[in-house]
Amino acid sequence: MIRCEEALERLWEFLDGELEPANETEVQRHLEVCSRCYPRYDFQRAYFELMHRIRERDGVPQKLRRRIFERILEEEAASGSGNGADGVA
Amino acid sequence: MDAVSAGDIWRRVQDAWAMLGMGPRHRVRPDRVRITAPEGSRELRDLRREGFVEEALPYLDAVYPFALRLTRGDQDAADDLVQETFVNAYRSWHTFERGTNARSWLFTICRNAFLKAHDKTAAKREVSASTLNSSIDALGGVTAFADEPMDPEGAFFHEALDDEVVQAIDSLPEEFREVLVLSDLGDLKYAEIAHVLALPIGTVKSRLFRARRLLQERLLVFAQEAGYIKTGPTRPGRKHDSV
Repeated sequence: MIRCEEALERLWEFLDGELEPANETEVQRHLEVCSRCYPRYDFQRAYFELMHRIRERDGVPQKLRRRIFERILEEEAASGSGNGADGVA
Repeated sequence: MDAVSAGDIWRRVQDAWAMLGMGPRHRVRPDRVRITAPEGSRELRDLRREGFVEEALPYLDAVYPFALRLTRGDQDAADDLVQETFVNAYRSWHTFERGTNARSWLFTICRNAFLKAHDKTAAKREVSASTLNSSIDALGGVTAFADEPMDPEGAFFHEALDDEVVQAIDSLPEEFREVLVLSDLGDLKYAEIAHVLALPIGTVKSRLFRARRLLQERLLVFAQEAGYIKTGPTRPGRKHDSV
């Protein structure tokens, strides 16, 4: 069983899904039985939920979606009416 | 001028549906189509557009929050930045290697467009780097956990007002804000962020963890001021005892 310090050092990588499976299992097992670390895990999970909420709040305006698609069609028309080569930004 | 056939119109309608998140999506993936059309032909343009709509445009939802935070909440500027990103990407779509990571490619284009627009001079970078180093020194180690959680379940995260959170994100030093937004709002993996920012993965991790600590510290101050937490925030970064 890994120690609290090791579990907490890897906690963000664990939550980010960036740990190797073996390390992930070690952290998971530690969190399941450690009354000191679990609250910190809960705390960070709440942080991620908050970030998710902010992400959802910042949805793409529908008018912007339309504008971009119209611009793509314009670019396409321009490339078709020109010499056939795409411009590079 | 080419005549527009019913087939052309139908393909454009399908692309518009895909773009707007509506309608059927039963289409042949363009990367599975053997391209035999001559350069500059309408058929090739259709395939190019279809490929772009299918592979690049789905990431619009991920790029937008990133642009919004880069512009510190200026919605008009973010709209322009995102539009520029996708138009630039479409122009360069023929250089994109199909099947590779379109998401990190788009974030890179977005960031480059932002930096170009803001004329990042060497002097500004120097000041910024100095500020960053001071912030890092002030924060101490990489991992960020209070010795004893004041709010073990993170209840204040649920209570926090969105505007306060956004304000706290926008107030982070640019190098921290960038990596945090790419990860926590853009949902990019460490390797993708490393690609976008041209940094080693180790640097991305340490910068991200410091950014989270700094943001959480600022949110704790908000929470304290709002009365969600009665005691002052414990200084992050101190090593806790192992059990």
